[in-house]
Amino acid sequence: MRRVLKDEYDVLVVGAGPGGSMASYYASKHGAKTLLVEKSQEIGEPVRCAEAVPKLEEFHITPSEEFVRSYIKGGYLIAPNGKKIVVRGGKTEGYVVERKIFDKYLAIRSASLGTKIAVKSRVVDLYPCEDGFKVKVVHLGEEYTVKTKIVIAADGVESSVGEMAGLKCKKNPMEVCSCAEYEMTGVKLLDKHMMEFYFGDLSPKGYAWIFPKGDTANVGLGVIDRGKKAIEYLNEFLEHPILEGRLKDATPVEFKCGGVPVGGPIERTVDDNIMVVGDAAGQVSPLTGGGIYLAMSCGSIAGEVAAKAVKRGDYSMETLMEYERRWRERFYNTLITELKYKRILQRLGERELNIIAEVMEDNLEEIDVKEILFKVIKRAPSLLKYFKDVVA
Amino acid sequence: MRVNYERCGYCGACVGVCKDMALELIENRIVIYEERCRRCKGCIIVCPLKALEE
Ligand SMILES: Cc1cc2nc3c(=O)[nH]c(=O)nc-3n(C[C@H](O)[C@H](O)[C@H](O)COP(=O)(O)OP(=O)(O)OC[C@H]3O[C@@H](n4cnc5c(N)ncnc54)[C@H](O)[C@@H]3O)c2cc1C
Ligand code: SF4
Ligand code: SF4
Repeated sequence: MRRVLKDEYDVLVVGAGPGGSMASYYASKHGAKTLLVEKSQEIGEPVRCAEAVPKLEEFHITPSEEFVRSYIKGGYLIAPNGKKIVVRGGKTEGYVVERKIFDKYLAIRSASLGTKIAVKSRVVDLYPCEDGFKVKVVHLGEEYTVKTKIVIAADGVESSVGEMAGLKCKKNPMEVCSCAEYEMTGVKLLDKHMMEFYFGDLSPKGYAWIFPKGDTANVGLGVIDRGKKAIEYLNEFLEHPILEGRLKDATPVEFKCGGVPVGGPIERTVDDNIMVVGDAAGQVSPLTGGGIYLAMSCGSIAGEVAAKAVKRGDYSMETLMEYERRWRERFYNTLITELKYKRILQRLGERELNIIAEVMEDNLEEIDVKEILFKVIKRAPSLLKYFKDVVA
Repeated sequence: MRVNYERCGYCGACVGVCKDMALELIENRIVIYEERCRRCKGCIIVCPLKALEE
């Protein structure tokens, strides 16, 4: 380990979450000498996640028994009045994984291509030097200075590393969903292959969820609220009548909490010799709070672009902009549309949510927002004021 | 700003909104650099566990 921190690198990736492990995988794959630095003593710990991921085929990762706990076929969207809408197939299909094992699996996969990994090693500062960065890393109380041509900041919700380099990565507190979750055993699920989403006053400006996970289920919620805390909402949710006693015999085996940046991507994810990926870059679905898939996709692009830049011997912002162009091309419009929908959803009260649920079909393949809104307005024209931005 | 270490779940949500870099998560311990804090209370809002107090 100490030897690893005394070497020089082409690419230094900060954070061994899904974003960092994918970035380092592709950097190594395309020939860059790569170091992955993780401050925790165990990759994957502590878990701050409900652990749902979409299908992994596009990453050429086989959904192995090792980390897949449940196969997901879709979800129930549950209105405050209890009406359930079933959404099945397409993008809703995927898995609930054991993140502790999944994250470690991705790191091992990266190491198999030559990535060196430093654990219990925390990046505390970085400063530019002639053709790269000098990165200060603290490991077991000792400080190391590691030279690298390119830094990939994949440090998750904390978003400090890009900020150290002068990129604006810190989030607005009213755009961060505050989450608390129990992983419980003995939960009576509606269906062991379906996720459950609950909306309304039980989880203001967010939602509550129950995700099947093998012998357990992740029961949690995310809120944006200046007063009451996520943990208080969670404790109430566990006894909420809408669950019809399905958690009566459930007992927790783990507690998790965290913040999800749901305010959309940061302004700029690239500068000379640095790229920002994943939660740190705000690459998270503003509607669902899902960030694993985006971190993996954007991380892959960043790793590829980094290796290409190393080959060309040019690590300037202009060269690294290829990363920003490519991730924006794939995801920017979707993220901005979701942001718009989310802002509308956050303004709706329980009455409005119930009306929307009433006009929706009970069984859906895909959510066609325009069609739903059209029906809602026909049924309750007074709701038009909420939707005029999207229907116009 | 004070952390109640008995309540803190070391999730780092507070760190992510501190534009003044006054917070750092060192493994499972939140550290506050008081001299940088400008008491904006952003961290208190996002903390899921009410572990931060003025
Ligand atoms: C309660 C909750 C539920 C969620 N549920 C889901 C879900 O079901 N599905 C989904 O897709 N997403 C979910 N998310 C979001 C998801 O967890 C994140 O989007 C995802 O983990 C982001 O990946 P990442 O690689 O960007 O960062 P992370 O996975 O957070 O990894 C960042 C890593 O960087 C390390 N690090 C930070 N700073 C430093 C430093 N200075 N030096 C060294 N290492 C450092 C951290 O220790 C960490 O290991 C949830 C989030 C929360 C809080
Ligand atoms: S009050 Fe503001 S400046 Fe102080 S630690 Fe909290 S977020 Fe940072
Ligand atoms: S947000 Fe709260 S629980 Fe999370 S690390 Fe900060 S003080 Fe601890």
